Amino acid sequence: MRGRSFFLERYAKLGRILTGEEVTLQAVRVNSLRASDGEVTTILEGEGVHIRKIPYLDHGYEVSASTFSLGSTLEYLLGLYSLQEAASQLPVQVLRPDQGDVALDMCSAPGGKTTQMAAYMGNDGVIYAVDASRNRLYAVENNLERCGATNALVYHGDAVLIDLGVCFTKILLDAPCSGNYVTDPGWFSRRTIRDVESNAARQRRLLSRALEVLEPGGRLLYSTCSLEPEEDELNIQWLLENHYVDLERVDGPGVPGLTSVFGSELDRRLSNCRRLWPGGGSQGFFIAKVVKL
Amino acid sequence: MDLNSGICLGENEVVRINDKYFTLSPNLFESLRVKGGLVYAGRYLGRDRQRFEPSSLLLQVLAFEGGTRKVHVGRDAAWLFVCGRDIFQDNIDYVDGGLSLGSQFLIVYGRWCLGYGRYETIRDRAVIRNLFNIGDFLHREN
Repeated sequence: MRGRSFFLERYAKLGRILTGEEVTLQAVRVNSLRASDGEVTTILEGEGVHIRKIPYLDHGYEVSASTFSLGSTLEYLLGLYSLQEAASQLPVQVLRPDQGDVALDMCSAPGGKTTQMAAYMGNDGVIYAVDASRNRLYAVENNLERCGATNALVYHGDAVLIDLGVCFTKILLDAPCSGNYVTDPGWFSRRTIRDVESNAARQRRLLSRALEVLEPGGRLLYSTCSLEPEEDELNIQWLLENHYVDLERVDGPGVPGLTSVFGSELDRRLSNCRRLWPGGGSQGFFIAKVVKL
Repeated sequence: MDLNSGICLGENEVVRINDKYFTLSPNLFESLRVKGGLVYAGRYLGRDRQRFEPSSLLLQVLAFEGGTRKVHVGRDAAWLFVCGRDIFQDNIDYVDGGLSLGSQFLIVYGRWCLGYGRYETIRDRAVIRNLFNIGDFLHREN
Protein backbone atom coordinates (compact mmCIF):
# COMPACT_ATOMS: atom_id res chain seq x y z
CA MET A 1 0.00 0.00 0.00
CA ARG A 2 2.34 2.61 -1.31
CA GLY A 3 3.39 4.39 -4.45
CA ARG A 4 2.18 7.18 -6.65
CA SER A 5 -0.93 5.54 -8.10
CA PHE A 6 -2.01 4.19 -4.70
CA PHE A 7 -2.03 7.62 -3.10
CA LEU A 8 -3.46 9.47 -6.13
CA GLU A 9 -6.33 6.96 -6.22
CA ARG A 10 -6.97 7.61 -2.52
CA TYR A 11 -7.21 11.35 -3.20
CA ALA A 12 -9.59 10.67 -6.10
CA LYS A 13 -11.82 8.64 -3.74
CA LEU A 14 -11.82 11.68 -1.46
CA GLY A 15 -13.06 13.78 -4.37
CA ARG A 16 -9.86 15.37 -5.61
CA ILE A 17 -8.20 14.50 -8.91
CA LEU A 18 -4.52 15.37 -8.62
CA THR A 19 -1.68 14.81 -11.08
CA GLY A 20 1.11 14.40 -8.55
CA GLU A 21 2.96 17.18 -10.38
CA GLU A 22 1.51 20.15 -8.49
CA VAL A 23 4.09 22.67 -7.31
CA THR A 24 4.23 25.41 -4.73
CA LEU A 25 5.57 28.90 -5.32
CA GLN A 26 8.10 30.42 -2.97
CA ALA A 27 6.52 32.81 -0.49
CA VAL A 28 7.76 35.25 2.11
CA ARG A 29 6.16 36.61 5.26
CA VAL A 30 6.93 40.16 6.33
CA ASN A 31 7.97 40.30 9.97
CA SER A 32 5.79 43.03 11.47
CA LEU A 33 8.07 43.18 14.52
CA ARG A 34 10.75 44.65 12.31
CA ALA A 35 9.19 46.32 9.29
CA SER A 36 6.01 47.23 7.46
CA ASP A 37 4.81 45.37 4.39
CA GLY A 38 5.36 48.49 2.30
CA GLU A 39 8.96 48.86 3.45
CA VAL A 40 9.85 45.28 2.56
CA THR A 41 8.01 45.14 -0.76
CA THR A 42 9.59 48.42 -1.87
CA ILE A 43 13.06 47.08 -1.12
CA LEU A 44 12.51 43.70 -2.77
CA GLU A 45 10.84 45.17 -5.86
CA GLY A 46 13.72 47.64 -6.08
CA GLU A 47 16.09 44.69 -6.21
CA GLY A 48 14.13 43.19 -9.10
CA VAL A 49 12.14 40.58 -7.17
CA HIS A 50 8.67 39.92 -8.60
CA ILE A 51 6.27 39.59 -5.69
CA ARG A 52 2.52 39.65 -5.33
CA LYS A 53 0.37 39.90 -2.20
CA ILE A 54 -1.37 36.65 -1.34
CA PRO A 55 -4.94 37.85 -0.83
CA TYR A 56 -5.84 35.51 2.03
CA LEU A 57 -2.71 36.18 4.11
CA ASP A 58 -2.06 39.16 6.40
CA HIS A 59 1.63 39.54 5.55
CA GLY A 60 2.30 36.88 2.89
CA TYR A 61 3.73 37.50 -0.59
CA GLU A 62 4.21 35.09 -3.45
CA VAL A 63 7.57 35.27 -5.21
CA SER A 64 7.24 34.58 -8.91
CA ALA A 65 10.76 35.56 -9.98
CA SER A 66 14.04 36.43 -8.33
CA THR A 67 17.55 36.28 -9.73
CA PHE A 68 19.06 35.62 -6.30
CA SER A 69 18.34 33.60 -3.19
CA LEU A 70 15.89 35.36 -0.91
CA GLY A 71 17.36 33.46 2.01
CA SER A 72 20.63 35.38 1.91
CA THR A 73 19.73 39.03 1.42
CA LEU A 74 20.55 41.87 3.77
CA GLU A 75 16.84 42.19 4.62
CA TYR A 76 16.50 38.48 5.37
CA LEU A 77 19.51 38.60 7.68
CA LEU A 78 18.01 41.66 9.39
CA GLY A 79 14.83 39.67 10.02
CA LEU A 80 12.58 41.94 7.97
CA TYR A 81 11.00 38.87 6.37
CA SER A 82 11.06 35.09 6.55
CA LEU A 83 10.73 32.45 3.88
CA GLN A 84 7.47 30.71 4.69
CA GLU A 85 5.30 28.76 2.29
CA ALA A 86 1.84 30.28 1.78
CA ALA A 87 -0.30 27.54 3.35
CA SER A 88 2.02 27.25 6.34
CA GLN A 89 1.33 30.89 7.20
CA LEU A 90 -2.32 30.11 7.81
CA PRO A 91 -2.30 28.21 11.15
CA VAL A 92 -0.91 31.08 13.23
CA GLN A 93 -3.05 33.59 11.36
CA VAL A 94 -6.14 31.54 12.22
CA LEU A 95 -5.07 30.99 15.86
CA ARG A 96 -4.26 34.72 16.10
CA PRO A 97 -2.49 34.83 19.47
CA ASP A 98 -2.39 38.27 21.05
CA GLN A 99 -0.63 40.18 23.80
CA GLY A 100 -2.78 38.73 26.56
CA ASP A 101 -2.10 35.13 25.67
CA VAL A 102 -0.02 32.45 27.31
CA ALA A 103 0.68 30.40 24.21
CA LEU A 104 2.29 27.04 23.57
CA ASP A 105 3.98 26.00 20.33
CA MET A 106 4.16 22.24 20.83
CA CYS A 107 6.43 21.24 17.94
CA SER A 108 8.19 24.48 17.28
CA ALA A 109 11.22 23.70 15.10
CA PRO A 110 12.41 25.28 12.89
CA GLY A 111 10.66 28.29 14.42
CA GLY A 112 8.95 30.01 11.48
CA LYS A 113 5.56 29.78 13.15
CA THR A 114 7.03 30.66 16.56
CA THR A 115 8.33 33.96 15.20
CA GLN A 116 4.99 34.50 13.44
CA MET A 117 3.26 34.05 16.81
CA ALA A 118 5.63 36.59 18.39
CA ALA A 119 4.72 39.05 15.64
CA TYR A 120 0.98 38.66 16.26
CA MET A 121 1.61 39.10 19.98
CA GLY A 122 3.71 42.22 19.46
CA ASN A 123 6.50 40.56 21.49
CA ASP A 124 4.22 40.63 24.54
CA GLY A 125 2.50 37.79 26.38
CA VAL A 126 4.45 34.53 26.57
CA ILE A 127 5.23 31.79 24.07
CA TYR A 128 6.44 28.46 25.39
CA ALA A 129 8.15 26.78 22.43
CA VAL A 130 8.94 23.08 22.72
CA ASP A 131 10.60 20.59 20.42
CA ALA A 132 11.92 17.08 20.87
CA SER A 133 14.97 17.57 18.65
CA ARG A 134 17.83 19.53 20.19
CA ASN A 135 19.49 19.93 16.79
CA ARG A 136 16.35 21.42 15.26
CA LEU A 137 15.99 23.80 18.21
CA TYR A 138 19.14 25.61 17.08
CA ALA A 139 17.12 26.78 14.08
CA VAL A 140 14.39 28.03 16.45
CA GLU A 141 16.98 29.97 18.44
CA ASN A 142 18.47 31.51 15.29
CA ASN A 143 15.05 32.46 13.94
CA LEU A 144 14.02 34.10 17.21
CA GLU A 145 17.24 36.11 17.31
CA ARG A 146 17.13 37.06 13.63
CA CYS A 147 13.48 38.15 13.77
CA GLY A 148 13.81 40.05 17.06
CA ALA A 149 11.30 37.87 18.91
CA THR A 150 11.85 38.32 22.64
CA ASN A 151 8.76 36.82 24.30
CA ALA A 152 9.61 33.10 24.04
CA LEU A 153 10.82 30.48 26.48
CA VAL A 154 12.26 27.57 24.47
CA TYR A 155 12.42 24.05 25.88
CA HIS A 156 13.99 20.85 24.66
CA GLY A 157 11.60 18.01 25.36
CA ASP A 158 8.82 15.81 24.15
CA ALA A 159 5.62 17.84 24.09
CA VAL A 160 3.67 14.76 25.21
CA LEU A 161 5.73 14.42 28.39
CA ILE A 162 7.02 17.85 29.33
CA ASP A 163 5.33 19.60 32.26
CA LEU A 164 5.81 23.37 32.24
CA GLY A 165 3.50 23.99 35.21
CA VAL A 166 1.26 26.25 33.12
CA CYS A 167 -2.20 26.18 31.53
CA PHE A 168 -2.35 27.82 28.13
CA THR A 169 -4.89 30.12 26.52
CA LYS A 170 -3.79 29.20 22.99
CA ILE A 171 -1.91 26.21 21.65
CA LEU A 172 -0.42 25.64 18.24
CA LEU A 173 0.02 21.98 17.36
CA ASP A 174 1.54 21.95 13.91
CA ALA A 175 2.07 18.26 14.19
CA PRO A 176 4.89 16.15 12.77
CA CYS A 177 3.22 14.40 9.85
CA SER A 178 3.75 12.39 6.69
CA GLY A 179 4.09 15.57 4.65
CA ASN A 180 3.04 15.69 1.04
CA TYR A 181 4.56 15.20 -2.39
CA VAL A 182 4.57 18.88 -3.33
CA THR A 183 7.44 19.78 -1.02
CA ASP A 184 9.19 16.39 -1.17
CA PRO A 185 10.04 15.02 -4.63
CA GLY A 186 10.73 11.51 -3.31
CA TRP A 187 7.54 11.35 -1.26
CA PHE A 188 5.63 8.74 -3.30
CA SER A 189 8.52 6.28 -3.28
CA ARG A 190 9.09 6.54 0.47
CA ARG A 191 5.72 6.78 2.16
CA THR A 192 3.47 3.87 3.03
CA ILE A 193 0.06 3.76 4.63
CA ARG A 194 1.76 2.27 7.69
CA ASP A 195 3.76 5.51 8.10
CA VAL A 196 0.51 7.44 7.91
CA GLU A 197 -1.12 5.32 10.62
CA SER A 198 1.94 5.56 12.84
CA ASN A 199 2.01 9.34 12.52
CA ALA A 200 -1.73 9.55 13.19
CA ALA A 201 -1.29 7.64 16.46
CA ARG A 202 1.51 9.97 17.55
CA GLN A 203 -0.63 12.98 16.62
CA ARG A 204 -3.50 11.71 18.80
CA ARG A 205 -1.10 11.51 21.76
CA LEU A 206 -0.08 15.12 21.10
CA LEU A 207 -3.72 16.19 20.78
CA SER A 208 -4.61 14.56 24.10
CA ARG A 209 -1.71 16.26 25.81
CA ALA A 210 -2.64 19.61 24.29
CA LEU A 211 -6.13 19.36 25.75
CA GLU A 212 -4.72 18.48 29.18
CA VAL A 213 -2.77 21.74 29.34
CA LEU A 214 -5.28 23.99 27.55
CA GLU A 215 -7.53 26.21 29.69
CA PRO A 216 -11.27 25.67 29.38
CA GLY A 217 -12.38 28.11 26.69
CA GLY A 218 -8.87 28.08 25.21
CA ARG A 219 -8.14 27.50 21.54
CA LEU A 220 -6.08 24.68 20.05
CA LEU A 221 -5.00 25.06 16.45
CA TYR A 222 -4.19 21.67 14.94
CA SER A 223 -2.52 21.59 11.54
CA THR A 224 -0.60 19.21 9.32
CA CYS A 225 0.78 19.37 5.81
CA SER A 226 -0.43 15.81 5.23
CA LEU A 227 -3.17 15.09 2.70
CA GLU A 228 -4.09 11.84 4.41
CA PRO A 229 -7.44 11.93 6.27
CA GLU A 230 -6.07 9.61 8.97
CA GLU A 231 -3.82 12.50 10.09
CA ASP A 232 -6.46 15.17 9.51
CA GLU A 233 -10.24 14.74 9.68
CA LEU A 234 -10.13 11.28 11.28
CA ASN A 235 -7.92 12.56 14.10
CA ILE A 236 -10.31 15.44 14.74
CA GLN A 237 -13.26 13.00 14.60
CA TRP A 238 -11.45 10.98 17.29
CA LEU A 239 -10.98 14.18 19.30
CA LEU A 240 -14.69 15.03 19.11
CA GLU A 241 -15.60 11.51 20.23
CA ASN A 242 -13.16 11.39 23.15
CA HIS A 243 -12.87 14.92 24.52
CA TYR A 244 -15.21 17.70 25.54
CA VAL A 245 -14.47 20.04 22.63
CA ASP A 246 -16.08 21.85 19.73
CA LEU A 247 -14.78 23.17 16.43
CA GLU A 248 -14.69 26.81 15.38
CA ARG A 249 -15.22 27.56 11.73
CA VAL A 250 -12.04 28.22 9.75
CA ASP A 251 -12.50 30.37 6.65
CA GLY A 252 -10.05 31.10 3.91
CA PRO A 253 -8.65 29.29 0.90
CA GLY A 254 -9.28 25.63 0.20
CA VAL A 255 -12.40 23.63 0.96
CA PRO A 256 -14.28 22.62 4.11
CA GLY A 257 -12.94 19.57 5.96
CA LEU A 258 -14.22 16.23 4.68
CA THR A 259 -17.31 14.80 6.35
CA SER A 260 -17.25 11.57 4.38
CA VAL A 261 -14.05 9.55 4.16
CA PHE A 262 -13.77 6.27 2.22
CA GLY A 263 -17.46 5.50 2.76
CA SER A 264 -17.61 6.50 6.44
CA GLU A 265 -19.77 9.44 7.47
CA LEU A 266 -18.07 11.74 9.97
CA ASP A 267 -19.31 14.41 12.39
CA ARG A 268 -20.80 17.27 10.36
CA ARG A 269 -18.83 19.75 12.45
CA LEU A 270 -15.70 18.65 10.58
CA SER A 271 -16.81 20.93 7.77
CA ASN A 272 -15.67 23.75 10.08
CA CYS A 273 -12.09 22.65 9.41
CA ARG A 274 -10.21 23.72 6.31
CA ARG A 275 -8.45 21.47 3.83
CA LEU A 276 -6.08 22.85 1.21
CA TRP A 277 -5.36 20.50 -1.65
CA PRO A 278 -2.13 21.13 -3.57
CA GLY A 279 -2.39 23.51 -6.50
CA GLY A 280 -2.86 27.19 -7.12
CA GLY A 281 0.64 27.90 -5.87
CA SER A 282 0.44 26.29 -2.44
CA GLN A 283 1.07 22.88 -0.96
CA GLY A 284 -1.57 20.80 0.82
CA PHE A 285 -2.58 21.62 4.39
CA PHE A 286 -5.21 20.84 6.99
CA ILE A 287 -6.35 23.20 9.74
CA ALA A 288 -8.72 22.62 12.65
CA LYS A 289 -9.52 25.18 15.35
CA VAL A 290 -10.61 23.37 18.50
CA VAL A 291 -12.29 24.98 21.51
CA LYS A 292 -11.99 23.25 24.87
CA LEU A 293 -15.41 23.32 26.54
CA MET B 1 33.84 44.41 23.35
CA ASP B 2 34.05 48.16 24.09
CA LEU B 3 31.58 50.36 22.26
CA ASN B 4 31.32 53.14 24.83
CA SER B 5 27.91 51.92 25.99
CA GLY B 6 26.45 53.21 29.24
CA ILE B 7 24.21 50.16 29.66
CA CYS B 8 24.93 48.14 32.77
CA LEU B 9 23.00 45.04 33.80
CA GLY B 10 22.99 43.59 37.30
CA GLU B 11 23.53 39.88 37.86
CA ASN B 12 19.91 39.42 38.87
CA GLU B 13 18.72 40.93 35.58
CA VAL B 14 20.51 38.36 33.47
CA VAL B 15 19.58 34.70 33.06
CA ARG B 16 22.36 32.31 32.12
CA ILE B 17 21.57 29.10 30.23
CA ASN B 18 24.71 27.05 29.61
CA ASP B 19 27.13 29.52 27.96
CA LYS B 20 24.39 31.92 26.82
CA TYR B 21 23.02 35.05 28.49
CA PHE B 22 19.49 36.48 28.26
CA THR B 23 17.34 39.25 29.67
CA LEU B 24 13.67 38.62 30.34
CA SER B 25 10.72 40.98 30.57
CA PRO B 26 9.06 40.93 34.02
CA ASN B 27 6.17 39.00 32.49
CA LEU B 28 8.50 36.40 31.01
CA PHE B 29 10.51 36.20 34.23
CA GLU B 30 7.34 35.40 36.20
CA SER B 31 6.41 32.77 33.63
CA LEU B 32 9.71 30.94 33.98
CA ARG B 33 8.60 28.27 36.45
CA VAL B 34 10.47 25.28 35.02
CA LYS B 35 14.16 25.51 34.16
CA GLY B 36 14.80 21.88 33.23
CA GLY B 37 15.09 21.60 29.46
CA LEU B 38 15.22 25.38 28.99
CA VAL B 39 17.56 26.30 26.12
CA TYR B 40 16.62 29.88 25.22
CA ALA B 41 14.65 32.67 26.89
CA GLY B 42 13.58 36.20 26.07
CA ARG B 43 16.19 38.52 24.60
CA TYR B 44 19.42 36.75 23.75
CA LEU B 45 22.47 38.83 24.68
CA GLY B 46 25.36 36.65 23.61
CA ARG B 47 27.54 33.76 24.63
CA ASP B 48 30.85 33.05 26.28
CA ARG B 49 33.34 31.24 24.12
CA GLN B 50 36.98 32.26 24.12
CA ARG B 51 35.61 35.79 24.36
CA PHE B 52 32.11 37.18 24.77
CA GLU B 53 30.24 36.94 21.45
CA PRO B 54 27.38 39.47 21.36
CA SER B 55 24.08 38.63 19.74
CA SER B 56 22.60 40.67 16.94
CA LEU B 57 19.80 41.61 19.38
CA LEU B 58 22.28 43.11 21.85
CA LEU B 59 24.08 45.02 19.10
CA GLN B 60 20.75 46.41 17.89
CA VAL B 61 19.95 47.64 21.43
CA LEU B 62 23.39 49.28 21.61
CA ALA B 63 22.87 50.91 18.22
CA PHE B 64 19.77 52.67 19.54
CA GLU B 65 21.78 54.07 22.46
CA GLY B 66 22.95 57.62 21.89
CA GLY B 67 26.49 57.41 23.24
CA THR B 68 27.81 54.34 21.47
CA ARG B 69 30.41 54.59 18.73
CA LYS B 70 28.87 53.98 15.35
CA VAL B 71 29.99 53.91 11.76
CA HIS B 72 27.18 54.52 9.26
CA VAL B 73 27.44 52.96 5.83
CA GLY B 74 25.44 52.75 2.61
CA ARG B 75 23.86 49.68 1.05
CA ASP B 76 26.88 48.50 -0.96
CA ALA B 77 29.26 48.67 1.99
CA ALA B 78 26.59 47.09 4.21
CA TRP B 79 26.33 44.11 1.89
CA LEU B 80 30.10 43.68 1.70
CA PHE B 81 30.29 43.86 5.49
CA VAL B 82 27.72 41.09 6.05
CA CYS B 83 29.68 39.05 3.49
CA GLY B 84 32.64 39.29 5.85
CA ARG B 85 34.60 42.14 4.25
CA ASP B 86 36.22 44.99 6.15
CA ILE B 87 35.04 48.57 5.60
CA PHE B 88 37.40 51.00 3.93
CA GLN B 89 37.35 54.56 5.19
CA ASP B 90 36.13 55.76 1.76
CA ASN B 91 32.94 53.74 2.24
CA ILE B 92 31.99 55.35 5.57
CA ASP B 93 29.08 57.80 5.28
CA TYR B 94 29.61 59.30 8.73
CA VAL B 95 30.78 58.43 12.23
CA ASP B 96 29.25 58.87 15.68
CA GLY B 97 32.26 59.29 17.98
CA GLY B 98 35.74 60.04 16.66
CA LEU B 99 37.71 57.48 14.68
CA SER B 100 40.73 56.48 16.71
CA LEU B 101 42.92 53.47 16.05
CA GLY B 102 41.98 50.44 18.12
CA SER B 103 38.46 51.67 18.89
CA GLN B 104 35.48 49.44 18.23
CA PHE B 105 32.40 50.61 16.32
CA LEU B 106 28.93 49.36 15.62
CA ILE B 107 28.28 49.19 11.89
CA VAL B 108 24.92 50.76 11.10
CA TYR B 109 22.91 50.77 7.89
CA GLY B 110 19.84 53.00 8.14
CA ARG B 111 18.33 52.08 11.51
CA TRP B 112 19.82 48.59 11.50
CA CYS B 113 22.95 47.31 13.16
CA LEU B 114 24.91 44.87 10.99
CA GLY B 115 27.64 43.95 13.47
CA TYR B 116 30.73 45.57 14.83
CA GLY B 117 34.38 46.09 13.99
CA ARG B 118 37.63 47.70 15.06
CA TYR B 119 39.36 50.67 13.43
CA GLU B 120 42.80 49.48 12.32
CA THR B 121 45.40 49.98 9.69
CA ILE B 122 46.02 47.03 7.43
CA ARG B 123 48.91 47.40 4.97
CA ASP B 124 48.96 51.17 5.59
CA ARG B 125 45.28 51.46 4.81
CA ALA B 126 42.70 52.45 7.44
CA VAL B 127 39.79 50.04 7.71
CA ILE B 128 37.07 48.96 10.09
CA ARG B 129 38.06 45.37 10.60
CA ASN B 130 35.08 43.01 10.58
CA LEU B 131 34.77 41.36 14.01
CA PHE B 132 31.15 40.14 13.85
CA ASN B 133 28.36 40.53 11.34
CA ILE B 134 24.82 39.20 10.87
CA GLY B 135 25.95 37.04 7.93
CA ASP B 136 26.81 34.72 10.81
CA PHE B 137 23.20 33.46 10.62
CA LEU B 138 24.00 31.82 7.29
CA HIS B 139 27.04 30.03 8.65
CA ARG B 140 25.07 28.75 11.64
CA GLU B 141 22.30 27.32 9.48
CA ASN B 142 24.82 25.54 7.27
